[in-house]
Amino acid sequence: MARERYIKVLLFACASLSFLAILLIFLFIFRESLPAITKGGFPNLFLSATWDPDKGRYGMLAFLNGTILTTLGGLVLGAPLGIGTAIFLDQVAPRRMGNIIRRGVELLAGIPSVVIGWFGLTILVPFIARVTNSAGYGIGAASVVLAVMVLPTITTLSAETLRSLPPELKEASVSMGATRWQTIRGVLLPAGREGILVAVILGMGRAIGETMAVQMVVGNSRQLTFSLTRGTGTLTSRIVTDMGEATGVFRSALFAQALVLLILAMLLIISIRLITRQKER
Amino acid sequence: MDSRRADRIATTVFWAVGLITLGILLFIILEIFGRGLITALSPSFFAGKPEAREAGGGIWPMIASSVYLAVLTMLISLPIAVGAAIYLAEFSREGRLNRFIRFCLDSLSTLPSIVFGIFGMTIFVIKFRWSYCLLAGACTLALLTLPILLRSTEESLRQVPLTYREASMSLGASRWTTVRKVVMPTAMPGIISGTILPVGRIMGEAAAIIYTTGLFVRTIPKSPFDPAAPLAGYIWYAQTEAMVPDYRRIVNGGAAMLLILVFLINFAARRLAKYYSKRKSLGG
Amino acid sequence: MKRISNAAASPRTGKPPLFARAALLIAVLLLVSLPAACSIRGAGVVRIAGSTTLLPLVQDGADRFMDMRGDRTVLVQGGGSSVGIAQLKEGIVDIANSSRELKPDEDDGRLMDHRIALDVIAIVVNPGVGVDNLTREQVKGIFTGAIANWREVGGEDAPIITVVRDKASGTREMFDEIALDKEDSVASAIECNSNGIVRQTVASTPNSLGYVSIGYADASIRAIKYDGVAPGTESAKDGSYPLSRYLHMFTSGEPREAAREFIDYVLSEEFQTEVVSQEYIPVIGL
Repeated sequence: MARERYIKVLLFACASLSFLAILLIFLFIFRESLPAITKGGFPNLFLSATWDPDKGRYGMLAFLNGTILTTLGGLVLGAPLGIGTAIFLDQVAPRRMGNIIRRGVELLAGIPSVVIGWFGLTILVPFIARVTNSAGYGIGAASVVLAVMVLPTITTLSAETLRSLPPELKEASVSMGATRWQTIRGVLLPAGREGILVAVILGMGRAIGETMAVQMVVGNSRQLTFSLTRGTGTLTSRIVTDMGEATGVFRSALFAQALVLLILAMLLIISIRLITRQKER
Repeated sequence: MDSRRADRIATTVFWAVGLITLGILLFIILEIFGRGLITALSPSFFAGKPEAREAGGGIWPMIASSVYLAVLTMLISLPIAVGAAIYLAEFSREGRLNRFIRFCLDSLSTLPSIVFGIFGMTIFVIKFRWSYCLLAGACTLALLTLPILLRSTEESLRQVPLTYREASMSLGASRWTTVRKVVMPTAMPGIISGTILPVGRIMGEAAAIIYTTGLFVRTIPKSPFDPAAPLAGYIWYAQTEAMVPDYRRIVNGGAAMLLILVFLINFAARRLAKYYSKRKSLGG
Repeated sequence: MKRISNAAASPRTGKPPLFARAALLIAVLLLVSLPAACSIRGAGVVRIAGSTTLLPLVQDGADRFMDMRGDRTVLVQGGGSSVGIAQLKEGIVDIANSSRELKPDEDDGRLMDHRIALDVIAIVVNPGVGVDNLTREQVKGIFTGAIANWREVGGEDAPIITVVRDKASGTREMFDEIALDKEDSVASAIECNSNGIVRQTVASTPNSLGYVSIGYADASIRAIKYDGVAPGTESAKDGSYPLSRYLHMFTSGEPREAAREFIDYVLSEEFQTEVVSQEYIPVIGL
């Protein structure tokens, strides 16, 4: 019995270590962004779209806008594709094809963001430029790139969820005469909802925090825009572009952007959870 | 719309989705291999040493660094993630603290990798005075992958049916024994598959390791305290700052090689998962 | 109480707990690496970090230096000028590579500046652009947004897409100061954080122009004349081409023995005339 206690303590230590690490990083970001908030001022940072570090203007609204729009774009393209593919793999696809797609998706996860960004820069952007007669950089290109990057996460985790649903569920549904689609819609999706939600959240996490690939195709401009084809920036692309060389309040302002990123992610996660909890009732 | 028509339409839609995904995969993978496979497989490239300014460099130290880094990172993060996941899923009471921890983990997974890199540099490279080395990179990447590893492990554990646990405990087994002998083996294939994605992420991560592990090192690292230049970071370097005239060749060949490595690791991991589920079904 | 046997390493499952094994492995690894770790910190080791712009050059110098001196090890890393300088002040590295001057809040009075090369910045355009030369006023107008179409400077009727470096870049700082009279680049300019990305962006975006270190100008982009003067070694030396800046290696006070030797080698005639002159301008001739 003592051994059980010992094991429990060890496991608790692991959980605490994880928790501590998380806390440390939060504190780190918070501490590093403090100088910007105190010296730069709250409205300057969070309520302005003017980004001019030389003159002490650190308004990040343009980039916040960029992050929100590109993340949404990436999810709108990537989540249906990912979940749909997962269902396809689990229910519809013939065995061999399913395996090929699975291996391919896992392989996709290992492609470095720098390579996907490179493709975006050399293939996607010129393509968009030709089709829309613009420079090609912007929220559109970034959304496509992000969709490609979150696809593996959402697909794999959703497929895993579906795979581990008890087979009795499917059998029961089929034995009642339901078509495949009815089984999917009425039984599998509700049952796998939690796991699929985790998949989408983790995919969204990847989208929000993606740095290299987005930086290469979004244009990295200072202007705030809602257009799909005008260059703009995201919070992450800003951080990546400037972090290497920035010092002092400038650097701190970048950390403030990371802080905003974190808060944004938290809000998104909370709202997703709230929405699904409501649906349950 | 009767149910059969709905079913057919749905099936068509799903086929379309599957084919689109397949199309994207094929396009990217074929592009990478088309541009770089020949380079990647040529011995002077994959077994050679990198050049600083001349053409004709190779990437062997980078390959070794990437593999070493991936192994080290998993050694650090897997036990902690699995341990914490077991604790959260099996031993703790399902309450607000648990939900809060999960929430923090999910939020943490959204942080840009460069922030992890700066954090790792501040703590491991500077404060701990390790300087640029594999261990700093491994610890940093362990932090990066901790959320997703923990969550996917936890999901695998949760998907083990409650009845298994109840059956075991009703035979008089303690909680830990139940976990060790019943829950873990059942969840093991899922846990191992869950490591495939993070390992891919580790191999492809550039931003975090630039600040912690190194960017251009010509020697193979022999200890965790040696600096190293993993392949993904080197590819980034070749794209952005390298002055060698054949930088395109390095980028294409490096990307193809990375893909090969990831494929091999995924293959090995899946073999392992299959081996585990076979043992389980034989009554292990 | 009846319990299912759970010896620590039952032959059935065959393994002690996962973390015990891993912890053991980590401990063994660390123990094995301890002697190696100590050797890395020896007196013959020079640690350098900083600007990635200097990385190829300094790495080449390190390779040649190590070939000459078997007892010396030089480790060069990147991270950016700011990172390098910060680490220098912490004592983590011996030398900080920097593509820019020290900022006032970085200068603690002890940092020594060793200039190792002069870097020429060329204005480059996409190969499809038909303009060969831009006057100073035109360049300033384009980058600040006053001039927005190639038509206004003798080219085709197409909007100009400007590509600049990131705000904290030494290249940009110099360019903004000398070419733009400290005015700001237009808000729609595409920011890239390295020479290589500027090169790639300008190469693949029609109607674009930007600026890079001349060592990065290859066949995919075209360098144009600035105020009638082509960028090059001679024109930068005699001052007719004004866009240039120094590359630095900073040390904290006098560098100690091994670092001193390395810096001396980098500043030696052999290295400067053979290597530095390939993409930069040697400092010894100035």
